[in-house]
Amino acid sequence: MTELELRLVELGRVLDVPETPDLAGPVLARIGPRPARRVPRWALAAALVVVAALAATLAIPSARSAFLRFLHIGGEEIAVVDELPRITPQLDLTIALCDRITLDEARRGAGFRLRELDEAPDAVYRSDRGTIWFLYGSPARVRLLVAQTKGGFDPYVMVKKVATRQTHVRVVKVNGANGAFISGRPHFVMLLDEQGYPIDETTRLARNVLVWASSGVAYRLEGDFALAEALELARALR
Amino acid sequence: VVEGRPPDEPALVERAKRGDERAYGELVRMYQGIAFRTAYLLTGSAAEAEDAAQTGFVKAWNAFGRFRRGAPFKPWLLQIVANEARNRRRSAGRRADLALRAAAERPTGDAAPSPEGAVLRQEQRAELLAALNQLDEKDREVLACRYFLELSEEEAAEVLGVRRGTVKSRTARALARLREEVAT
Repeated sequence: MTELELRLVELGRVLDVPETPDLAGPVLARIGPRPARRVPRWALAAALVVVAALAATLAIPSARSAFLRFLHIGGEEIAVVDELPRITPQLDLTIALCDRITLDEARRGAGFRLRELDEAPDAVYRSDRGTIWFLYGSPARVRLLVAQTKGGFDPYVMVKKVATRQTHVRVVKVNGANGAFISGRPHFVMLLDEQGYPIDETTRLARNVLVWASSGVAYRLEGDFALAEALELARALR
Repeated sequence: VVEGRPPDEPALVERAKRGDERAYGELVRMYQGIAFRTAYLLTGSAAEAEDAAQTGFVKAWNAFGRFRRGAPFKPWLLQIVANEARNRRRSAGRRADLALRAAAERPTGDAAPSPEGAVLRQEQRAELLAALNQLDEKDREVLACRYFLELSEEEAAEVLGVRRGTVKSRTARALARLREEVAT
């Protein structure tokens, strides 16, 4: 440890933190019986997907709308509800996208082979969950967003899209892989915590979106484009 | 503050996972100190920290079905508590300053410090805290996890929801920035 690190540890040990209150009593008063379940792993995983999708709709107080259906594409789920929750979206894109990094850092640190367009992005970001974002334009005037996420179902936090019936969700083939094109009325992109509640700072309005998954990586294009143009961009992402 | 993995934790976790509330009560007592401290570092408010830690424990109980068998309980719990604390702080619209101060130095018998030495150390600590508050939120959080909560890189990664490599690089970057702040 360096001297600075030792000073930090020493500081941590003398910080004036209030005495810990007793939490066991209040916690035990708030929890109820939780029956033990023995179900096969695959069944549990499938059930979690459904429960999480329902929770996304029902856990938000103003979203008492009916859950209609959901699609599961790569690491993303698209929950279709009859009314969008009344939540304040995160409009500061740079907060949602997290760390600004260079393209070289993204290539080296992504943990998978990044696909790129011929045109270099204007900015590159890496979110806490490892998603690499290419931003074309500026955060205030986005021309195109390209997101690439190494696949895998995060057991604690899930990416969720919530759309309405007025939002068109069309299942498409993208470079031979299953995908979906979401267009029309705005929809939300949100991260859910382990209880299915949205994590505030990640909720934002998305525009037309093409999502697909290929070779364990989930891809997402966001922009004001029609399906044909989105598919063209997907093909150009190499 | 340093809390290793107590030998009876796996058995308590297993019982709690099966729905044993008494076992869970033991786990709460075992980890309430570090859970409260984590929440306090993130909120700077004793009342909000208590509320966040308590709700975190309740959510962890409800989410036990998703807890991976054999995994350490502490970082999983702290991630939930930290999320709760951040959400409270953000909904209150506060900047995430480490609203902390060092406790007054207490003489420790033979090696009782001189009054001048104690004042100097207090000033140095206050200066270090002020420098910490000049860093951005991510830098402060990773330093708080590694040095104030004394979590390992793996534990900090789980609490912050990032990869271990990210904790390593972010810590190095944050220390470099802190060094600059202290020097100015």
